[in-house]
Order: sequence, then C-alpha cells, then structure tokens
Amino acid sequence: MEATAMSTAAAFPSSRPRTGPQAGTQASAIESAGIPWYIWLSVAGVTSAVIGVHWDISWHRSIGRDTFWTPAHIAIQLCGIIAGITCGWLILGTTFTRSALREASVNVLGFRAPLGAFICAWGGFTMITSAPFDDWWHNAYGLDVKILSPPHVVLALGMVGVEIGALVLITAAMNRAADRLRNRLELLFLYVAAMILVVLMVLVLEFTHRVYLHTAICYRVISMLVPVTLAIAWRSTRSRWSATIVAGCYSAFLLALLWILPLFPAQPKLGPVMHEVKQFIPAGFPLLLIVPAYLLDLLRARVPGWSNWKLSLAGGALFVLAFVPVQWYFGTFLQSPRARNWFFGSIYYDYFQSPKSFAATYRFVSFESPAEFRTGMALALCCAVVSIWLGLGAGDWLRRVRR
Amino acid sequence: MRETGSDVSAAKLFLLGALCCGAAFAHVGSPDVFYQGKAGAYPLLVAIRPPEVIPGVARIEVRSLAPGLQQLQLTPTPMTGEAANHPPIADIAVQSPIDPQFYEGSLWLMQMGSWVVHIHATGPAGTGDLVVPVPAVATRIRPMNSGVGYFLLGMMVFLVTGLVSIAGAAVREAQLEPGQPSPRWTPKTLLTMACTAAILAFALWRGNIWWAEDAAVSQQRLFKPLGISARMTDGDHAEFRLNDPGWLRLRRLDDLIPDHGHLMHLFLVRWPAMDQVFHLHPDQTATGFFDLDLPPLPAGEYRIFGDIVHENGFAETAVGQVTLPDLRGKPLVGDDAGGAATSDLGHGYRMIWQHDATPVTAKGVRLFSFAILGPDGKPVNDLQPYMGMGGHAEFVKRDGSVFAHVHPTGSVSMASVAVASPEQMAAMHETTVGPVVSFPFGVPAPGSYRIFVQLKRAGKVETGTFDLEVK
Repeated sequence: MEATAMSTAAAFPSSRPRTGPQAGTQASAIESAGIPWYIWLSVAGVTSAVIGVHWDISWHRSIGRDTFWTPAHIAIQLCGIIAGITCGWLILGTTFTRSALREASVNVLGFRAPLGAFICAWGGFTMITSAPFDDWWHNAYGLDVKILSPPHVVLALGMVGVEIGALVLITAAMNRAADRLRNRLELLFLYVAAMILVVLMVLVLEFTHRVYLHTAICYRVISMLVPVTLAIAWRSTRSRWSATIVAGCYSAFLLALLWILPLFPAQPKLGPVMHEVKQFIPAGFPLLLIVPAYLLDLLRARVPGWSNWKLSLAGGALFVLAFVPVQWYFGTFLQSPRARNWFFGSIYYDYFQSPKSFAATYRFVSFESPAEFRTGMALALCCAVVSIWLGLGAGDWLRRVRR
Repeated sequence: MRETGSDVSAAKLFLLGALCCGAAFAHVGSPDVFYQGKAGAYPLLVAIRPPEVIPGVARIEVRSLAPGLQQLQLTPTPMTGEAANHPPIADIAVQSPIDPQFYEGSLWLMQMGSWVVHIHATGPAGTGDLVVPVPAVATRIRPMNSGVGYFLLGMMVFLVTGLVSIAGAAVREAQLEPGQPSPRWTPKTLLTMACTAAILAFALWRGNIWWAEDAAVSQQRLFKPLGISARMTDGDHAEFRLNDPGWLRLRRLDDLIPDHGHLMHLFLVRWPAMDQVFHLHPDQTATGFFDLDLPPLPAGEYRIFGDIVHENGFAETAVGQVTLPDLRGKPLVGDDAGGAATSDLGHGYRMIWQHDATPVTAKGVRLFSFAILGPDGKPVNDLQPYMGMGGHAEFVKRDGSVFAHVHPTGSVSMASVAVASPEQMAAMHETTVGPVVSFPFGVPAPGSYRIFVQLKRAGKVETGTFDLEVK
C-alpha cells in the first residue's frame, strides 16, 4: 500500500489539508493546472470507441470476415483499456495519496475518486468482461450469429458507461471551474455529448438508412434518442448554441467518415458478393439534426424562464415539426441521381446487398398503413416531448455535480 | 402413411428406434471431409475440418502429392442457389515452411447447408481447379469452461456491487462542494441503491431469459440425424422408413438424388460382433419409404446405416437398428454385396491391408491401401470398378459412434460432387482399378474400429474385414 502511495504521488500533487467547506479555494486548488490528464484520456477513450464502432460496421459491410484482432475491434477495446487503466490509476491515486482531488471525490466501496472516474472505470471493466464472454459465445453458438447478442450488449453497456463517466468527469471539473477553463471544458462536454449522440444513432442505424426516411418508425426512434441528448447539453452548459454544437459535431464526425473511409481499399472476404466493393463502405450522409438543434437553441434563448414541462412541450413539437419535413425531403434527394456521388454517399452499397434491394434500386421502404403512419408520427411527437423532459432533468442534476 | 403390411402382427422385425449418436451427417461421428483428386495437373489430398458451429471457421489442409505446385487459392460458396454464383475473393493457402508440399487455410462457412470449397492450383504446368463438397452444420454447443465461468460470475458480482455503490455515491456526495464533509447514509441514498439493485436484478433476470432463449434456438439448430426403421412386410421383404426428428426446414425427404445410381446405400452390420456386413440398395417406393428383398442372413441385432444425398448436394446418413431372425432371403443381385466378415475370400484368394508399422493416429490423414492376393500370393490384376469406384470401404467404430463410407476419392459422396461440378464427377469414374486400392481417410477418434473393404473382381464383389486400433 505504501509503495502504491509513493509511486502515484508524482501523478497526484498534494493539496492543502482539508479545512472544511471552502468551495472556491478548494476548486481553484483542484483546477489550477488546467484540463486534467485523466479528462483528456477519457475523451480519447470515447473517441477511440466511437471511431472503432463505425469502422467495425464499415468493415462488416465491405470485408465481412473479421477476427477479434481487427483494428476496428482493437479501437473499441482500447476505449475500455484506456478507461479502466486511467480511472483505475486515478482511483488508486486519489485514495492512497494526498491528492488535491480527494477533496472533490466520492466514496465507493472504500475507494475515493471523482464520480465520473468510477463510472468510467465501471464501463471499462464491463467492456473488458465482454471480451471472454463474446469469445465463448462465438465458439458455442457461432460467429456473430446476430449483432444484438448478450455479450455485445455487455460491450455496449460498458461503452455507454465510459461515455457517461467521461461526461460526468468533465461536468464536475466544469462546474468547479471558471472563466476560460470552464469554456474549454464546456467544449469538451459538448464534444462527448456529440459522441454519445453518434453512438445512440448507431443503435438505430437500421431504421435511419435513407430507404427508411419516409417511415414513421424512423422519426419515432430519432425522437426518442436525439432530444434527450440535446436537452442535457442545454442544461449542463452555459453555451447559447449547445444543441447546435452537439448536432454540428455529430454531423462533422459522420461527414468525415463518409469522405475518409472510401479512401481506403477493401475487398469482400465473405460470400455471396452481390456488389463489387473496392473500398470501405461508409455510413450514409448524416441526419440533418443540425436544423432542429439550431431552432431549439433559438427557442431556449427566447423563453429563459419556462418550466421543464412547458419547454419540453414546445421543444418536442418544434423538434418534430422542424426535423420531419427537412429530413423527409432530404431523403427524397438522397434517393435521387443527384446524390449518387462521393459527397452525398448514395453510391455505396454493402457487398451483400441484393441488386433488387430497396437501397440498390433507390426505393423507399413502405410497410406502414396510413393509419399506422399517423399513429407513428403522433408517437414520435410524444417521444420527443418526454425525451426533452428527461434530458432537462438529467441536465439539472449534472449542473449541480461538483465531484 | 403406407401400411402395406397387412401383417404388422406377423412382422418378424421391429424397430428399436434408438439413434446411434448425435453428431452425424455425411457420415456418423466423422465430420471431417477427405478428398483425393486432381486440380489440373496437380494431384491433391485435401482434408477439411468443418467447425462445430455455423457460422464458423473451417480449417483446410492440402497436400500436393507431386512437387511443383506454386500456389493454392481457396474459396468457399454454397453449393447451389444464387449465392453459389457470387464468391468472395479467394484466400491464398499458406505453404508450410517445413514441408513445401503441405498447405493450410481457413474459411468461413456462413450458413448451414451444403457448401463447396473451390481449390485453384497454380504451377509450372498451368492452372487447375478442384471442388470439394462440405456439409456445414452445427453439431455441438461448446460448454463454458470453469475458468471463464468463474471469471464472468466474479465480474458480474463486482460490476453489480460497483454500480449500486456508484449510484449511492452519486446521490450522497456528487453534488457536495469540494471539501465539504460527506453525510452519512440517508434514506434517499439507500432508496437509490435499492432501486439500482432492483433494476440490475431485473436486467440480469431478463438477460438470463434472453440467453436461455438464444441457447434453445441454437440447440434446435444442432444437426439431428435422420432415423431409419425397418419392418418385414412379406417373407424376406423389408420396408425401411426414414424418420425426420425435426431439424431445419431445409431438410426434405422428397429431394433425394441417386449416388452411384442408387437413392440409398444401406449398410446392415450385425451388432456388436460386427461379423456380418451387407451393402444393399433398396428402391424408393414413396417419399421416405424404401423396399428391399433381404439376402440370406443370420439372426441378430443389426445396426442400419442409410447413406442418402439431397438435391442440393447435402449428404447424410440415417441411423437405426433392427433385430432380425434367421432369413433364408434372396440371392444378392446387382450392386448388392456382403456376408460374413472375413478376409479369406475362398479358393486361395484373400484380401490384405498393406500398411507399415506406423501407428494410426486420430485425425491424421493417411491412405488405407488394400489388395486381393491370388493363390500364388501375388496381387490380382483383374479388379473391376464397383459402382464406378475402385472400391468402397466402411470404417465402423466398435462402440457404434463412428460410421464412415469412403471411396478411393475420399469421404465425399459422389452425388455431391456431381451437383457441385458435373465435369469433375465425370472425370472421377474409374475404368481401371488396382491392383492396390487406396482410401484417403482420417480416423476421427481413438478406439477400436473394424474396416469393411469391398472390391470387385470377376464380376463378384468381395468383402474383406480388418481390425484397427487407433491411439
């Protein structure tokens, strides 16, 4: 135990002895060194996971065959390893040294560290746990018999844990910081929120492909997942354009993937190969979330005193009314010959895509009756309202986090 | 259902119904595929080890039986259907640095059914192709070893405990200003932890149900061999019936195709002595029903192995058993053969197994070579093709867990080859045989085996019997 304390002392500079609730002094002592290393590393872990997930999806669409050791899988697992080691180190250091962070820590099972470090470490260990579980699963039931399997869900839970942990870690530091440091931490917060949005959109990728853009289920799942993220960003930061920045980061990330991934060669290694594929297949053009996000930011600026419910009702309605027509007509454009180029990405097909499929023939999926469509859209509206309300509540809680 | 036997009560046979073992398709208990053939000018001996689960990775071993081969490319595709026309890019087999005539590779088999591995050989004599049919079926759910089990259990306890504690800390301390003393346990903290624990318990319960459902689906997808039952309908006339225990919908009984001119190759082996063996060919009378006049055979319990091939090239062996009385029977005719298990063929002739002192090991691929010696002690030169092949051999394990019907080309059904490549099949028919006939095979597991070898000379099929101990 002494050896641990000695070895970690350099990484965790001493603070003054605890003198009581002197918040301002304590906060300045903790944050005087700028953005801490562990926040940078946790953000790196989050980024690694998000890139890895999209890379892996692209791998399955272009090459097909993989092993545990593909670069995409390593990028995903790197997130767990970075989070586990970084936050494990942070927890040990805060617990066993006179770290300044001890004053801004919580107690979990006798260990001390910022709350986000524990969540991050939990996510990292969960991700690492999924590896032997997944390996056994493949040997017992087959290689990737389906994407949504128990070990994959364990991995996804761990990844979400790391992302939420990173968000809480940043939030606590942000809430203690002032001036320029706070602004920098806010930007990091919004970036991580955008990465969470990217991951949430991966969960519903199946319903947001361009061929689904004229179905109600597409807008329902988007209305469940997007407004909550934007509302958390609203309440947790002071930025006037928080929702726009989150949606902008999401869009920039997906556009980068759309334009960069096809630059790398790939060949299908599983059959049947229904389309000749010579390069990595990217995800499609990002959803135009930037439009409702911008309008939501304008709304919030105009109604600063509204209650959460009132803001949820107005915000949810605005989200659906702004997003649905914009994305609907953009979907029509994406199916048109004018979008069949590298910029909009409607030229890319999975190697296993049938030439008669909706995507290859540029047809919209249509399985909802008019009544089902109307009901689905009404549900989308309800989902958006509830989603914003939940996000506001979570944002209110995060805004008060200090440790 | 047909009830031709007005005389069910008079039936002298009855079905015991028990299946020999679980893992069986083209053979029983011998999933690996062995094949000997030519890819252009290059003679190859191929062994394919299919995975236990599908999708899974098959291991492929290829030995070039002549030097000069420069490269082997391997490509798997389903044998029939649209997907057969759209192969992925070929894999290059890895040449052994120690043995340059030995190559290895691995290929993904993505769905259950009848697959084929395309082998493309390149060398100084140009290029050549060989196709090897492979049945892709899930045969086993591998249990979790105790190390992984304890690790996952430990991590589950750790992660659940950790998350409940984190939830408590989030409510208790997360919003305190730095340096402010932490409060003791409050009802709010305890309630939050209790709710978190309840949510996690519910999630684990639901997860366990989900896992069990997935496991049940996988269990259902495991290959279940066809059963075969027999009953006497009139004197020496027997009726055989295929019984589908319920596997995948893709399995049908009305899609059988002839293999060596017969829809079924039926083997009767007296059990447990294995002192009588018959290779018979019943006629199909209706879907799943076959009729046959049995030959003279002594009473006893017989194991039944019925080899059939479906129109998609999928070969499987139906298994069953039956107790027979002494039968006067009808003389063996056509391609039917069999009798007492011996290597003494009478009139001074005998069948021999040519092998050195090297012990036979499980899984190792080798050529099992046989010849008929005349009264002068020299191999006879008048062997004839038996159903288009130089001979037929059956490897049967004494505990009944293995039955494999092998040809000089290997363990692959010829009808499957015909589906995969009619040209290759046409080139495989042997017109000249011997004097030594070799069968490529890898015995799947240690134990005691009996090998029944059938070679044809002077218009008569001779059956030789040999015992084999595998370490």
